[in-house]
Amino acid sequence: MTCILRRGSLGTAIAAPLVTAATLAFADGHEVTISHYFTGELGLKAFQEQIDRFEAATDYALKDSPVGHEDFKTDILVRASGNSLPDVFSYWAGARVQFIVDSNALHPIDDMWDNAGLDSVVAKSVADSATMYNGSRYLVPFNYHYSGVFYNKAVFADAGIDELPTDWEGFVALCETLNANGVTPIALGSMNRWPAQFWFDYLLLRTAGPDYRARLMAGDASYDDPEVHAAMGMWKDLVDAGYFTENANADSWTDASDKVARGDAAMTLMGTWITGYWNGLGLVPGEDYDFFPFPSISEGVAEASVGPVDGLVMAANAANVDGAKAFLEFMVSNADVQAAWSKAQGALSANVNVDPSNYNSVMLRAFETVAASEVFAFNYDLATPPPVAEVGLSMFSRFMDDPSKLGEILAQVATDAKSAFEQ
Amino acid sequence: MESQNRLWRVLLLALPILVFSVLVIWPLLSSFYYSFTNWNGFNRDYEFLGLRNFAKIWTDRLFFNAIVNTTIWMAAALVLPTLTGLFLALLLDRQVRGARIFKTVFYLPICLSAIVVGQIWIWIYQPDWGLLNTFVKLAGNPDFNYAWLARPDSALFAVIVAWSWQQTGLSMVIYLAGLTSIPSEMLEVCEIEGATAWQRIRRVVIPLLTPSTVVVVALSMINSLKGFDILYIMTGGGPFNSSDTLAMHMYNESFKKYLMGYGSAISVVLFLIALTIIGVYFRQLRKVDEIYG
Repeated sequence: MTCILRRGSLGTAIAAPLVTAATLAFADGHEVTISHYFTGELGLKAFQEQIDRFEAATDYALKDSPVGHEDFKTDILVRASGNSLPDVFSYWAGARVQFIVDSNALHPIDDMWDNAGLDSVVAKSVADSATMYNGSRYLVPFNYHYSGVFYNKAVFADAGIDELPTDWEGFVALCETLNANGVTPIALGSMNRWPAQFWFDYLLLRTAGPDYRARLMAGDASYDDPEVHAAMGMWKDLVDAGYFTENANADSWTDASDKVARGDAAMTLMGTWITGYWNGLGLVPGEDYDFFPFPSISEGVAEASVGPVDGLVMAANAANVDGAKAFLEFMVSNADVQAAWSKAQGALSANVNVDPSNYNSVMLRAFETVAASEVFAFNYDLATPPPVAEVGLSMFSRFMDDPSKLGEILAQVATDAKSAFEQ
Repeated sequence: MESQNRLWRVLLLALPILVFSVLVIWPLLSSFYYSFTNWNGFNRDYEFLGLRNFAKIWTDRLFFNAIVNTTIWMAAALVLPTLTGLFLALLLDRQVRGARIFKTVFYLPICLSAIVVGQIWIWIYQPDWGLLNTFVKLAGNPDFNYAWLARPDSALFAVIVAWSWQQTGLSMVIYLAGLTSIPSEMLEVCEIEGATAWQRIRRVVIPLLTPSTVVVVALSMINSLKGFDILYIMTGGGPFNSSDTLAMHMYNESFKKYLMGYGSAISVVLFLIALTIIGVYFRQLRKVDEIYG
């Protein structure tokens, strides 16, 4: 009897997980699995609210697994390598999506896009740049950000600055004035490398133009070209003049933002997510801080805006294709959802039906600036394939460590980037 | 009854063997397999490259940078905790006041996770308000703000110090246990015969502590080979690869550049290096066993 019981227990022990797994696998066709990187306090809460709305409006149940922003990059790769991607996941439009489209890991959404009439919902500039890959649509833009020069208004006022620069000479003069007033003009926190990329992006876009930059990002131009030397040379001039905070590579982007907020530095080149961070510290947009677009440099060069587009994509082997498409459509086409989301996240909505009055004064101007831009360009690490982006991001921190080695750095990066493109 | 017991033994052993196979053997074999491909983690239709990933290793300057850093890391991780652990053990073995408290305090860091230790030392090294620079400022250099973890010359060594700080407690405890096995009469005789303190330590204590040293070196070596998490949290291999070890380089190639095939090739090389070191170590261990029984 004991033996039977033992065998029975063992059998139960072995069978139980199998039965549970089978139950989960065949639970019902109403479960949609999703993973995303909106894990900040406000972002997570806002995303959960949208999930609740979706579940209330449909028969689907969402199984959500949020992962922190930086960890998400590794997590999604681990899940992909284990062939266990969630049905839907958030991702950064541009080269990163292109990379997984090329790897046949995403499901096209052209039919859903057409059926839902998203052409009339998503801003054309965003739709053109962020959703199409290899001739098909793969990504639903969820929100986007704009990178500009965010500054402390009190610091500018104390330095007697009442006019914001629109060209390079004006910008350098502004830095000189701030320096003369004992304030470090520019804060940069490049510990995690990516915050430095906006300097390279804008300097290259404003001097060599969007077409050249697109060629460089695609591997059709070299980092040793005169265009890159010229852009980096301008950056070097700013560093050599002492306009940047010391030890940029030791600070994170929030450290740099804190320096501006405290008045230890005057401005920082950052994305609009800084507004969410500063608002959380109690700063008032338009009163305590504001922004101006990166100044023009070369005449005749198209004025581009730089920033990332957050989107939702669908795994090629999604278990619940219909549910995944329903969720993607709901998240972008519902103007109320988009308005609530952009407010919580400090982001700009990709939905043209969202009333701009939902934005605070700074975000509204950011929205208008992007709308008036001739080109919307993804920031560096979303514009070039991940293996190349790694090379470039290291270049920025190496440059900030010792700008005097610029020539040597660019020669090395030209070789490394060429090799990375060949992979 | 006997056959039933045997069945149970097989069944009970089957589970750990299954877990070991799934979590260790299978990933190991997978790494070998993928090291011959251009798999990027996402693509299912990868190609076989033969030995091209291994050929690429010999032209990868970052790989050689990682080899140099790994050598420094392992040498320092072996020497520093061993010497400081021995020094503290010799100090605390004498009946000093509060020895028990000191032992506890010195041992405490080993109880912390590498992530916590890393975070503590990030704060210590912080250039503007960190403990280290604050002391330097108080010592008469008010403008000193060296960024220990952000400068390529110091990043790896700064992490080594943090790592050694954590590992020293373990060496100390093992040496303290070893010291209790040395007969006090032997040391007294040496003293009567006129041996100085240094001679007693060098000629008697350290040789008799060889079995403890074997354990300390084994643990330090294994821990240093595993030492990835503290580097990951403190520098991530940066700035610009200056603190990349082989494990860190493998991670960066696999997960940041999405070169899983190439990362697997690096992991195979790392595995072979570890296997060689452990093989040499066990050979030496046998010799020690023959001498000390």
